[in-house]
Amino acid sequence: MSFGGGPMFVGSAASPGNGLPFAGVPSEMQAGVDALLAEEPDHGPPNAVFSHAAADRAGERLTLRALIFAHWRLGVAALFVIVVVSVFNQAGPWLIQYGIDHGMLPHHHSVRVVILTGAAFIVAVLITAIAQRSQARVTGRLAARVMNDLRVRVFAHLQRLSLDFYTDEKAGVIMTRMTSDIENLQQLLQDGLAQLAVQALTMVVITAILFTLNVTLTLLTLALVVPLLTISSLWFRSASAAGYIRVRDGIAAVLGDLSESLHGVRTVAAYDRFERNIVHHRNVLGAYRDANNYTAKISALYGPGTAMLGYLSQGALLVIGGHMVLTHRLSIGALVAFFLYLNRFFAPIQLLVQQYNTFQQGQSSIVKLRGLFRTAPSTPEVPDAPVLPPVRGEIAFDHVDFSYTPDGAKVLHDVTLTIAPGESVAFVGRTGAGKSTMAKLITRFYDPTAGAVRIDGHDLREVSIASLRRQLGVVPQEPFLFAGSLRDNIAFARPEASDAEVWAAVEAVGLGEVLERMPDGLDTVVHERGQSLSSGERQLIALARAFHAQPRVLVLDEATSNLDLLSEARIEAALDVLLEARTAVLIAHRLSTAMKADRIVVIDDGRVAEAGSHEELVARGGRYAEMYATWASHLEVPA
Amino acid sequence: MVMRRSENDPAKRLGQVGIADRHLRPKVHVDPDRSRSWLRRVLPVLGAHRLSLSGALGMSFLTLMLQVQIPSLLNGAVSNSLERHSTPLDHYVWIVFGLALGAGLAGFGSRYLLMRTAYAVEFDLRNLLYEHLTRMGFDFYDRVQSGQLISRANSDIRSVNLYLTFGPNILVQCSIAIVAFIYMLTINVPLAFVAMSTLPFVFWLSIRMRASMFPVSWLIQARLAEVATVVDENVNGVRVVKSFTAEQRELDHLAREAAKLRWAYIRDADLRARFSPVVQNLPQLGMAFVLLIGGLLVIDDHLGVGAILAFSIYIVMLQAPFQMLGMLVMLGQRAAASAQRIYEILDEEPSVRDAPDAIDLPEVRGEVRFDHVNFHYGADADDHPDGTAASAAHSPLGAAVAGPPVLSDFNLHLAPGETVAMVGRTASGKSTVSRLLTRFYDVTGGAITIDGHDLRTLTLQSVRRHVGVVLDEPFLFSVSIAANIAYGAPDASREAIVAAARAAGADEFISALPDGYDTVVGERGYTLSGGQRQRVAIARTLLVNPPVLILDDATSAVDVQVEQAIHEGLKVLMAGRTTLIVAHRLSTIHLADRVVLLDGGRIVAEGTHAELMESTPLYGEVLAQVAENEPSGAPA
Repeated sequence: MSFGGGPMFVGSAASPGNGLPFAGVPSEMQAGVDALLAEEPDHGPPNAVFSHAAADRAGERLTLRALIFAHWRLGVAALFVIVVVSVFNQAGPWLIQYGIDHGMLPHHHSVRVVILTGAAFIVAVLITAIAQRSQARVTGRLAARVMNDLRVRVFAHLQRLSLDFYTDEKAGVIMTRMTSDIENLQQLLQDGLAQLAVQALTMVVITAILFTLNVTLTLLTLALVVPLLTISSLWFRSASAAGYIRVRDGIAAVLGDLSESLHGVRTVAAYDRFERNIVHHRNVLGAYRDANNYTAKISALYGPGTAMLGYLSQGALLVIGGHMVLTHRLSIGALVAFFLYLNRFFAPIQLLVQQYNTFQQGQSSIVKLRGLFRTAPSTPEVPDAPVLPPVRGEIAFDHVDFSYTPDGAKVLHDVTLTIAPGESVAFVGRTGAGKSTMAKLITRFYDPTAGAVRIDGHDLREVSIASLRRQLGVVPQEPFLFAGSLRDNIAFARPEASDAEVWAAVEAVGLGEVLERMPDGLDTVVHERGQSLSSGERQLIALARAFHAQPRVLVLDEATSNLDLLSEARIEAALDVLLEARTAVLIAHRLSTAMKADRIVVIDDGRVAEAGSHEELVARGGRYAEMYATWASHLEVPA
Repeated sequence: MVMRRSENDPAKRLGQVGIADRHLRPKVHVDPDRSRSWLRRVLPVLGAHRLSLSGALGMSFLTLMLQVQIPSLLNGAVSNSLERHSTPLDHYVWIVFGLALGAGLAGFGSRYLLMRTAYAVEFDLRNLLYEHLTRMGFDFYDRVQSGQLISRANSDIRSVNLYLTFGPNILVQCSIAIVAFIYMLTINVPLAFVAMSTLPFVFWLSIRMRASMFPVSWLIQARLAEVATVVDENVNGVRVVKSFTAEQRELDHLAREAAKLRWAYIRDADLRARFSPVVQNLPQLGMAFVLLIGGLLVIDDHLGVGAILAFSIYIVMLQAPFQMLGMLVMLGQRAAASAQRIYEILDEEPSVRDAPDAIDLPEVRGEVRFDHVNFHYGADADDHPDGTAASAAHSPLGAAVAGPPVLSDFNLHLAPGETVAMVGRTASGKSTVSRLLTRFYDVTGGAITIDGHDLRTLTLQSVRRHVGVVLDEPFLFSVSIAANIAYGAPDASREAIVAAARAAGADEFISALPDGYDTVVGERGYTLSGGQRQRVAIARTLLVNPPVLILDDATSAVDVQVEQAIHEGLKVLMAGRTTLIVAHRLSTIHLADRVVLLDGGRIVAEGTHAELMESTPLYGEVLAQVAENEPSGAPA
């Protein structure tokens, strides 16, 4: 009899603890996947609409119930088939009991009863199978649709959130919300809730049938089985949850160690750490094995333990029920039904306990997602924000104060600065002086805590975010390339652009030579964020992207740091083209870049320390002159 | 690295590598004979655990033998004690209790032992793979993606392992079907066939089910990864998305991926709906047949009522093994493919290794000579006369193809204690020189010597102990900064670590971190800038204190002011040490006694900076790129 409970491997499917899920399909599965893809219909254009202004009010009150109610027809259908499954699946033992007592026992022989009960059993099995089929189809659709809605809604909300939300620390959390939190719900909706309902109903149905057969024996059986099985299942759940965490951490450590050894293989070789690393890895693997052995012990106790409980209760049933039969208080058929139902009582209790885990995980995911929906963007768009008309490009900081956190230290103090249309201005200063912060205020990644930033006299907070950013171009310090072709990356602002337009951008920044070396030219596919390209080439692509957008205002955030000499020279040349006839803000790491600007603004400790042309500032003998002197003396070539 | 015999002795290893070795090294290896089947090749690993494996299987068999008797006893009890009153009931009850206890204990033993064995085999396989990977040369890492390797080390080992350890157990369970069938035959022959009639279909359908569901579950995995990639890109590229107002487009992108995922999930549900209810309910149908036909047999007095009970229980008991047997077939197919992918790695030969008679150099003066060195990346075509290079072309690991020559007839001599700066355009071969001197690769022609010893006659260990390198894009491990600095000298004291950090200009920023030297790199968002990473890497090398030092563009990402401070530290440390500097900046070139100009894989000029400026126009051209950006002191 299969009382066997508990998975053979607790948490054997533990995936790598960090990073993206593995996307490769093994070669032996490829043919099957291809056949599957051939059947896939076109899903039509996506109909999700993004708006900075509209918040997801329903998301702020997200509940499991609300998610299902949105597809209530499927929910009702699921409920109906679940009831059918629970009832008809339990018809068998009752029919056997009836067939034995009224058709097979001495003095009750009846061919008619045996044939009728047998036929009824077959019909009940058929109905169960059909209902189970519908159940899987209905709950599968329900889950897939709810998950789809949720993915799109959560992502739309993420897109609304401002830059402060996307700090390094939160990147992992955001990934978790969009991946494992939503996938938890997938499991719960596809199978979990239906299982919970089926198992609970099954217990009700079996208990009801047993009561009609014999009240005393039912009470005795329930008293024998339910408490022991429930307690041991609860123990297993908590023990295996702890074990699961150990196993998961164990495999994460193993893969993490392996991944570091592979990525850092040059360093490992240079310092000759192979021997030590082998032993270290073996220790990490050993800890993982110990964790696995711990879960092995738990599931080996639980699985065969509950099986033993099942056999022992069969023995007890034989003693008690047997004596009741001998004293004519119970029919033989009823005893047989008790034996068969006893078997069926185990699975629901075990499954209920397991599913409860899924349910709890799903609930906690819901709570986390609700929290995410309740996070408001910190640079909200005012209702019905007007579109910013095409600007000339005058940028004004008007007594701007700024701090990153409400009670944090001020990063900018009363900054007032006007940049004329078409003027290029370089911000220089030490790391942490506030240069980048000023750039982030211009692009409205953040709003000032006091004062205002204006473009052509419009307060940035009072125009629509899209119309503002469309007229700005930003080249960040670390250029980011998306998976896709180089064309997709360069024509990011206007994907519908013609080849000629894209090439114009390529040539403008001097990327043509690089592209010609690539066999697929613009169609070259970027892998792993462009790691096969040099950092200079990546930066040139980012510049081409900005050029192609043809912004009125250009912000370059340390775009020339971290480059080798040749790339730097290329980029400096590209800058000349880019800066032409545009308002430009350059956050400069190297003074050679700063000198390209019409005006240099020295930022110190969140304040404008001095401003003027290179010559003026050198002549003034202030902070800039000092910086320049250090720098120049350092570079001087002893000829 | 070539394994030395002493490695099997844990006590010696502890001394050798400085950390406790708590777990035994796997004793056996996968059979290297490539012509054998995958199962044959892995047998030695399985064989190392034959005792616990056979123990587990024996106990599993015992468990099932005990279990299989219970339904038959219930049959006897119902038919003989309750129906015909021929045997006292107690007779059966005590046996059932005894069997239950025995099956419980043996069941625990078998399951625990089997899983322990499974994990032991997994442990061995993972260790073997890791050790093998550490032995691979850099040509291997150049052509193989680490993501590929990690996936092989993870899911492929798991799938092989699952099959190896659960296959035998499932077979044991199925063998019990035979015993159960015999028991049923002894009760009633025709009814035994009726009861078993649906089980072959269960087996067949569960194979069909797995076969059709595996592709869709892979598709789901792949599409989950696609969705995650979109999210990942939008999180990491958020500034680009927002500045180019691409929110709607990215949302559409995600919605399209989500719709594809939804389709795959529905497809999965439909396939499940097609098979699962049938597989689940076929045994129930068998029970209905038992009721129908068994009932008629009872009426004709060929059978006791207890048989109906016993047969029904047997059917339930056999349902699981037959479903698992179907699974086993699929597991076997996957395991075979996975094993091939693992063997592809294990069959790779290391390209750089210790010669059999390699000597260990305890100390060097630091005289380095490149003697008519030729080099190109990728394997030589004639390195693999047995045609493995050709077969590797079909392997997803990628073929080792010989690249164009990088160095040709390269000659350079560094006197002990001398500092030489190497200048050249991008791709002139500068970085390759440093990779050859650390013996990441072996030269394809000529020789490199230290103190007159050809590198290839020395142990890798001694080469790398004496030659320290600071790479241009240094890799930091996710351990504390102190442990990163002490990477090459794990036993260094905190004072020594701080001193090295100070000399590398890293002490100031490290001390400013919340946890100082104990800050774990990468944790809680503590990422270091490129310049900071380079300084930690310089400190790491300084701590090892190698007699030969290579600085491969080591300060390229450091602020000019900070660079100056580092140079002060470096000057002290370079004294008395042979140093090769790959330089981009003039300021770095100034640290050198002598400058060599590299072009097209050979040295075209050498001398002091001033001499080269004078004599070699190319040198001026290369440096002119600096001049373009410098306001004063233009060299040309």
